[in-house]
Amino acid sequence: MSNSPYIRSRWFEDIPVGEFHVFGDHTFSEKEMVDFGKKYAPQIYHTDPEAARDTLYRGLIASGWHICAIWMRMMVDYMERFATGVQDGRRNGAGVGFQDLRWIVPVRPGHTLTYTYEVIEKSDRVVKNKWGIIRSRNEAFNQNGELVFSFVIDILAERRPAD
Amino acid sequence: MQAQASLQWQDINPGDSFSTDTITISRRDILDFAADFDPQPYHLDPDAADDSIFGGLCASGWHVTAVMMRLLTDTFAQNNINLLGSDGVSNLRWKKPVFAEDSLSSRITVSKKDLGESSYPLSYIECEVDVSNQNGESVIQLSTSLMIGNDQRGGTADE
Repeated sequence: MSNSPYIRSRWFEDIPVGEFHVFGDHTFSEKEMVDFGKKYAPQIYHTDPEAARDTLYRGLIASGWHICAIWMRMMVDYMERFATGVQDGRRNGAGVGFQDLRWIVPVRPGHTLTYTYEVIEKSDRVVKNKWGIIRSRNEAFNQNGELVFSFVIDILAERRPAD
Repeated sequence: MQAQASLQWQDINPGDSFSTDTITISRRDILDFAADFDPQPYHLDPDAADDSIFGGLCASGWHVTAVMMRLLTDTFAQNNINLLGSDGVSNLRWKKPVFAEDSLSSRITVSKKDLGESSYPLSYIECEVDVSNQNGESVIQLSTSLMIGNDQRGGTADE
């Protein structure tokens, strides 16, 4: 399946609602959490493992936007291996927006998230005469099987050119 | 808690609005973020980017949201608001690409407040966040739920 040229070269029309992928796992290190926090979310519960103990989180937690950024990395790596090749920048569309994003359970150093993706809807809208919109539900579960993160995102996929 | 000196949930009301500082995103910033989190050609390779949907090297959408969080965090700190994180984003739209040397700033407007049912001493505000570039064009828009310290409710952090 992973080597199928069909999977790699699909158009919008070829992608079925219900398709499900497990992108894979990522273990969050303290260092990467602190690096991200210092750059983008400088609150002590994201930047200082010691001082974070005195906050209501009682320890360091990952910025929610870090959890999102890792989702993106997991998707890119997965799609490059198994699906629409992201190295073709003309074929692979951009995200247009997302909804219902929830950060449900804190992610702490050493926690491992498993990210999943399911196509839930294909809109009839055509964007710039070329792109369709794939709506997917994305979730991440921690090492205890708890749902920690979920959202629904709309991503462009190129439509099959008219003959 | 360091709550005494800071503004609490009670002090913030719908209609309150904040203007953030400005952050300029360099080409190096775009490439670094993309290498770590979003290694797609239109964020990494100027030639491939020219042929892409964006028409040039641009920041990952998640880079833009991260910069939005930095703007928001700094602004809340400057206003001495006891921000305790976010539990979600009901919707977000990426409206325009962000290119190297674009300068982003944000307008944050409180739209709702909700006492909530947290067991912690916090309550919720809903904010409309509009991030725009140096030309005044909106690049992302979102609605997010933020948690603000509220000493009058919830238990202690030891629960």
